[in-house]
Amino acid sequence: MAKLKPFTMPKWGIEMAEGTIADWMVAENAPFTRGTVLTLIETDKITNEVEAEADGRFVRILAKPGETYPVGALLAVLSDGGEASAAEIDALIAGFRPSDTRFDPDAADTAPAAAPAAPPAPPPVPAGLAISPAALAEAQALGLDLSQVQGSGRHGRISVQDVHQAARAPVAPALVGPLPLLPEGPVRATPVARRLAALHELDLAKVAGTGPRGKVRRADVLAAVANARPATAAAAGVPQVMPMSSMRRTIARRLTQAKQEIPHFYVRRRVRADRLLAHRAAAKGDRPSVNDYLIRACALALGEVPAINVQVHGQDIHQFAQADVAVAVATERGLVTPIVFAAETQSLAAIAATMKALAARARTGQLRPEEFSGGSFSLSNLGSFGVEQFDAIINPPQGAILAVGSARPEPIADDGALRIVPVLHLSLSCDHRAIDGADAGRFMAALARLIEQPELLA
Amino acid sequence: MAVMNIREAILSTLHAEMERDSDIMLLGEDVVGGNGTAGGPEAIGGIWGTSAGLWAKFGPDRVIDTPISESAIVGAAAGAALAGKRPVAELMFADFVGVSLDQLWNQMAKFRYMFGGKTRCPAVVRMVYGAGMQTAAQHSQSVYALLTAMPGLKVVLPTTPADAKGLLTEALRGDDPVMFFEHKALYGVKGEVPEGEYRIPFGQARMVREGGDVTVVACGRMVNFAEKAADKLAADGIGVDLIDLRTTSPMDEDAVLDSVEQTGRLVVVDESPPRCSLAADIAALVAARAFTSLKAPPALVTGPHAPIPFSRVLERAWLPSPQTVEDAVRRTLAFR
Repeated sequence: MAKLKPFTMPKWGIEMAEGTIADWMVAENAPFTRGTVLTLIETDKITNEVEAEADGRFVRILAKPGETYPVGALLAVLSDGGEASAAEIDALIAGFRPSDTRFDPDAADTAPAAAPAAPPAPPPVPAGLAISPAALAEAQALGLDLSQVQGSGRHGRISVQDVHQAARAPVAPALVGPLPLLPEGPVRATPVARRLAALHELDLAKVAGTGPRGKVRRADVLAAVANARPATAAAAGVPQVMPMSSMRRTIARRLTQAKQEIPHFYVRRRVRADRLLAHRAAAKGDRPSVNDYLIRACALALGEVPAINVQVHGQDIHQFAQADVAVAVATERGLVTPIVFAAETQSLAAIAATMKALAARARTGQLRPEEFSGGSFSLSNLGSFGVEQFDAIINPPQGAILAVGSARPEPIADDGALRIVPVLHLSLSCDHRAIDGADAGRFMAALARLIEQPELLA
Repeated sequence: MAVMNIREAILSTLHAEMERDSDIMLLGEDVVGGNGTAGGPEAIGGIWGTSAGLWAKFGPDRVIDTPISESAIVGAAAGAALAGKRPVAELMFADFVGVSLDQLWNQMAKFRYMFGGKTRCPAVVRMVYGAGMQTAAQHSQSVYALLTAMPGLKVVLPTTPADAKGLLTEALRGDDPVMFFEHKALYGVKGEVPEGEYRIPFGQARMVREGGDVTVVACGRMVNFAEKAADKLAADGIGVDLIDLRTTSPMDEDAVLDSVEQTGRLVVVDESPPRCSLAADIAALVAARAFTSLKAPPALVTGPHAPIPFSRVLERAWLPSPQTVEDAVRRTLAFR
């Protein structure tokens, strides 16, 4: 039994979309050998011969000379040499599906959704454009529209440098601007050396020149300026240069971004902490720290005022049902913020145990990424350093951070009487894109109530 | 300080130096001006007016009209210098220096070297160069790069009356052959000139404008174009370190390098075609010795690789201009 194969319109080159059968060179059912010219096909560029890839014969020729067919269209049915029934041939024709090889920049739009989108075709190259081969390759790799590129070569020929220039954004260099013109003095010196000497109030006559015939150069003046400084001052003035660690760079980048992009506002409040300290003193076993109380207080206050328990993502505000409180922990390598997740569900003792473990791992650099990623709110407490109060920078994408100072004895009005009790200074930094002052005020009120009634926290 | 133009500065310097030193003599085509005419000697005073009154004051032994032969003028000057005189040879057009090239290149430039330093050749060859006066392809060229390339010659290009005096005095006091280029379009440029003895050492560039953003190196008339460009750029806050080289051999490389180390950008303006030019030379110097300072490729503002046209319109198009200098500076600043 014969093996049948479709004979289709070949694709010669990326732009060929269709071809015209100029003529069939073999007749239907006439056997041919490998290498025989089977047909002549015209494209808009060339007329080419199609040779047989193997011995065989056409059992049916479908395409008519002079007709144009798209690439991949069925032109004839090939047999490996044997006979085939008309039914077999008809079945192959009926079942034939051309492979989609058309060159069509818009093909991606009509292709099945599952097919990966084709990379965008590079903009067309203007005909006759003067460009070096390397520049052309670079431009097409970059998808650059060459009709917009100004060539710097002979007769405007485009070089690789021109392509790179066109691909980059324009620059606006910081300008020094014109400077006053200094008169030529009796000392042989370059103009720049003269300018530098004037800037540093240096007598050029006292500078040893290293240029030809003792001409004073820029480097000579700079060396003289360095020598003119007292030696001790020079030693004291030399800083110890330490490259930033990757952690330091991350802190620098994120906080710079936060301070530049987030419209911070600050809400401050004093809270009496005498009852909280007394509650803590009365605790048995492993006493929770003041900070553990504050974590729990924040978690409960966030539950009362969920408008504070948010992250800001572009135009969206993400509000969270659970309070994931990130706690700033100072380590030798820098600041890290491990998170007490769902702190509102944890008891004071559980928070204390969690924080102890997290802080220990933070100090040894063993925190896992998921332990310090995310968080819906941050708490930073510098009370242990005796800091009275401070404002913190929001840790994006969180919406707020609470800064806590130390509990210091301060006079307060208590029921008409003046008393001196430990007082905490709280400062809440808020992202005004998501949080308004009233929400911040409500949160602080809730927090103050919880701190002043520590039994609510236990 | 007296205000005069470059023509007057050169003429007065020649008068003063010839009075001071009786070895100084002047020879060239029509330097007496009027010899053999109805008006008689000194009726014209040289076609450029830079020798007026010299013949009358110093006589025919020291002010000599020559045939139209640059070979003879320069050859005679070379011999006179060897014999102990201090000749000043004048070439009416620098373009014809080629006719005297052997006398310059193989003789004057090499005497001191070939004779093991036992002789000297204190000749000054004054030659008039430059385009912009519609003097066409054979009378407009700036051939200083050709002579700068020859070891043993000093090449001087004054741009101001003060520099003309200071540099010509220096040339006449030295013991080596000096190629003194006078731009025909600059003769009328006025400026203050110091009184009394005034010398400018060779190899010391002049800072014309100071500014920290781009270094523009020029010489001759191109300095004036660059000055106009710098003034326009200053209005936009762009500071130009404009360096007038004054002498291209010896060249003040340090002034250029020091400046480029600060600005990181170089524009060279050269009134000649770009190939094997002074502009290319300076760009190569900076690329080789201040490469890491550069923020942009050096820009060369030159004429095209073509003869200088006679047509006024085409000659203007051939020449660099304040606008092309300004454009080059802005392009250099826009490099990304």
